[in-house]
Amino acid sequence: MLLIYLSIGMLLPVAISLYAADGAQFSLAASAMIILTVGLLLRNILGRHAEYDIRERESIWMTVIIWLVVPLCGTLPYLFSGINTFSDALFESFSGFTTTGSSVLVHPEDLPAGLLVYRSMTQWVGGLGLLLFVVATLRKLGISAGSLYNAEFSGTQQRKLHPRLARSVSRMWRVYIIITLAMIVLLLVQGASLVDSVALAFSTVSTGGFVTRSTGVAHLGTGVMVVIVVFMFLSGINVALLYRFFTLRWRRPVPLWRDEELRVYLSVFLVSVAACAVSFLSEGNDYRQALPYSVFHIASTMSTTGFYLPSLPRPALLVSVLTFVLIVVGASAGSTGGGLKLRRIIILAKYIANYFTRMMHPNAVFRVKVNGEVVDDGYIRKVFAFVFLYIAFIVAGAFVLTLCGTSIPESVCMAAANVSNLGPSPLINNLGGSLDYALLPVAGKLTLVILMLAGRLEIFALVAVFSPSYWRK
Amino acid sequence: MKYILRVIGIVLMVEGSLILSCLIPALHFADGTWPAVTASGLFTFNVGLFLLVTFRKARTLADRRMAFLLVVLLWVALALFGTLPFLATGTVRTFTDALFESMSGVTSTGATILPAVGHLPSSVLLWRSMTQWFGGFGIVLLVLAIVPSLGINKYSLYTAEASGADNTGKQAASMASTLRQTLGVYILLTAVFVIVLWKSGMHIWDAVNLTFTNISSGGFSIYNDSLESLTALQQYVIAFAMLLSGVNFALLYNVLTFHWERLRHKVEQLLFYLVLTGLAILFVVFSLRWQMGYTWGESIRCGVVQTISLITTTGSLATDTSPWWVPITFLGVLLSLCGGMAGSTTGGLKTMRVLILVRNVRKILRDRLHPHAVNPVRLNGQPVAEHIAGNVIVIFLVYVAVVMMGIVLLMLSGINATESIGATIACITGYGPGLASSGGFGCYAAFTPAAKWICSFLMLMGRLECMTVLVLLLPSFWRRA
Repeated sequence: MLLIYLSIGMLLPVAISLYAADGAQFSLAASAMIILTVGLLLRNILGRHAEYDIRERESIWMTVIIWLVVPLCGTLPYLFSGINTFSDALFESFSGFTTTGSSVLVHPEDLPAGLLVYRSMTQWVGGLGLLLFVVATLRKLGISAGSLYNAEFSGTQQRKLHPRLARSVSRMWRVYIIITLAMIVLLLVQGASLVDSVALAFSTVSTGGFVTRSTGVAHLGTGVMVVIVVFMFLSGINVALLYRFFTLRWRRPVPLWRDEELRVYLSVFLVSVAACAVSFLSEGNDYRQALPYSVFHIASTMSTTGFYLPSLPRPALLVSVLTFVLIVVGASAGSTGGGLKLRRIIILAKYIANYFTRMMHPNAVFRVKVNGEVVDDGYIRKVFAFVFLYIAFIVAGAFVLTLCGTSIPESVCMAAANVSNLGPSPLINNLGGSLDYALLPVAGKLTLVILMLAGRLEIFALVAVFSPSYWRK
Repeated sequence: MKYILRVIGIVLMVEGSLILSCLIPALHFADGTWPAVTASGLFTFNVGLFLLVTFRKARTLADRRMAFLLVVLLWVALALFGTLPFLATGTVRTFTDALFESMSGVTSTGATILPAVGHLPSSVLLWRSMTQWFGGFGIVLLVLAIVPSLGINKYSLYTAEASGADNTGKQAASMASTLRQTLGVYILLTAVFVIVLWKSGMHIWDAVNLTFTNISSGGFSIYNDSLESLTALQQYVIAFAMLLSGVNFALLYNVLTFHWERLRHKVEQLLFYLVLTGLAILFVVFSLRWQMGYTWGESIRCGVVQTISLITTTGSLATDTSPWWVPITFLGVLLSLCGGMAGSTTGGLKTMRVLILVRNVRKILRDRLHPHAVNPVRLNGQPVAEHIAGNVIVIFLVYVAVVMMGIVLLMLSGINATESIGATIACITGYGPGLASSGGFGCYAAFTPAAKWICSFLMLMGRLECMTVLVLLLPSFWRRA
């Protein structure tokens, strides 16, 4: 239970102080010191009695606490420099750690460079943290049951933390860090400035989407764009698959190119790009603009990164609609992206298809299979419960937002974009709303913060803490 | 196929007779529509007779799959022939519009393409009300009697009710008595409300029309301003009629025959329905008072009538709701998606499904926290069978998917986002008025023909609970049929 405080004590300040010398030294250093002190205090006072026996209830509790305390501490640098109100800082910080990328800052370039890097770094930590905690804590609750990852992870059904699990987590760390470094180098090679490369690499690899300029990423050259697109696409893929790809274990247990989720990811990507490009062209846009725009936009949306380019001269409604659908669907399971995740969609689609066949042939028996493995009914119901709660969160969030004075389509888009941790997407504006978070009242911002958190924790942990049966002995 | 045509023949004969019954107001008010009404009535009747005589020997369905086809074709035929009085009298100009109006009637939706109805000939007005009345009854009949008798219950198509988790089908020994009971309750309720409304100072003609459209949770009105010009008392009476239309008819039969002990089989759905209605009424009343500045009397009247109209997916309006505060509108959308009890005339998902869905999620949360405990999903104290929970899940997901598709298609046909959301949900749930221009006292006249077709199709989907229609669209349905 008390392990939380340990990790808070260690994780954050070390990383922050690394960047303290980069621009806004004073405020960052000051907040780093404060956080370090708090962390050490907590560790020394409480950590001595830390029990290392973590059960489900404790780990859920721990996850939620961590995700509340860390972003709360993360508001300090914002408060010391730049952002005035606490609610804005809170919004920005949560948006960072949950890798959402919604921002209340209209002109991020006014901020000191250090803060910009810090902002993107929160996303990087969040992206990694999510994986870490999904694998290390939520996994053994069955939230992402054994079938969610492939062979190397599926042996870990133990209830306590296991060396093997720790090793799998460290492999993911490695993949994550390597990809980040590779991207920073590539961006530098393509001529982006150091601050830009680091910040953009952080927010791309984590599918966060914080940018360094109010113009998004449009001011950077073509080469940089290509790098960003490639890495956005990669970060929407299951990290376990990437690990196998890089370690050349392509054939075992299922050949990479046979992995169903990867195939669906690819085909959805290609089909969406095609649909997007065709509808832009049919509106009369120049193909030299429309094609790159489509690729960039779909990669950004599917991986729920949320980078954007300035709109094309003639908007297409179909693209906006497609964007909305892709936002809800999201990236692959086990990636840093958000949304419902393709794997769940595949399972449910197969389940529904079976149902229709059963309507016609009532005595037939069907099983849902993914990658050749049978998915049992209990797991399907878990997936369903997740989808149901997801929809419920979007609807409830949208309802609260209408109380704050936004229109219905606007609220639904905002709620969906934040639950799926996408963040900004100007294309949704065609659906009738502008995603200008700066104008929202405090209550609206807090609602979105809750939605981001729910989306990042895959909802269950958050709901579990608030359900009466959690507190019952 | 022959059997399907035979059944359709019988139903068309009934429809023809009903059209002919519209002659009564046509002659009484002498609005000159009697030749048109007679012609369309006789035509429908004769087509039905022809089908019946031709296929009189067909007694069974060749293939169980044909049951789905039968149900869908039945509603399509009803809607198609229902357009005749509109077209023949010249009140509706195009076929698209007439089909929209007729489909909206037989599915008891209540969406209209007519901007004003006050000046319409009386026979057409009665026909609109009547399509809703028998459309509303038809769906109750379908769920309670025809579906089980066709053996579709084995596929557990229509909620748990038809599949034995609930004993609606069993309480009456045979289909015939279920049918009698339901028809009895329906006609009794209609008669009672006609008399009550008449006694409350309404003309008998108005009373009949309004009862027809509200007891069936349809929502067509014979006034331009729906219910607004009625007295408060009359509005509350109609609200009560709507409230009853959201209750399972077998349950009403039990109450009327004092079989109280049978209530417990549905007590949770009933409580859920009533409590949800109550809470929503509170929210709407207070927001009308404090956000919209209505007087207390006004806000209570509008709140009660409108909330009940929403949850029962009726669509009668106590006042023009289009300028209402956005959260009320949003809540309304959610209420109509929930709908009343299964086995009533309402649309939407139905309270039983919503309950099962919510409890299913709760069960999964509990399983996670207490993996060794056994947590079955219960409804009224009875555990719900796994496959029924599975069916409800599928229906919910398909419903959500169809709503999304509807919104997307409407937007692509040139309707803006708010209106698309409003129209899709209003059509699929059977509420009727959408949002913005099609909401409140507005109408669907401004929609493009393509959008009207989409809406008509959504109404059909909503009324037949999506699955029945969708299964016909699968290629495998038609393979070696």
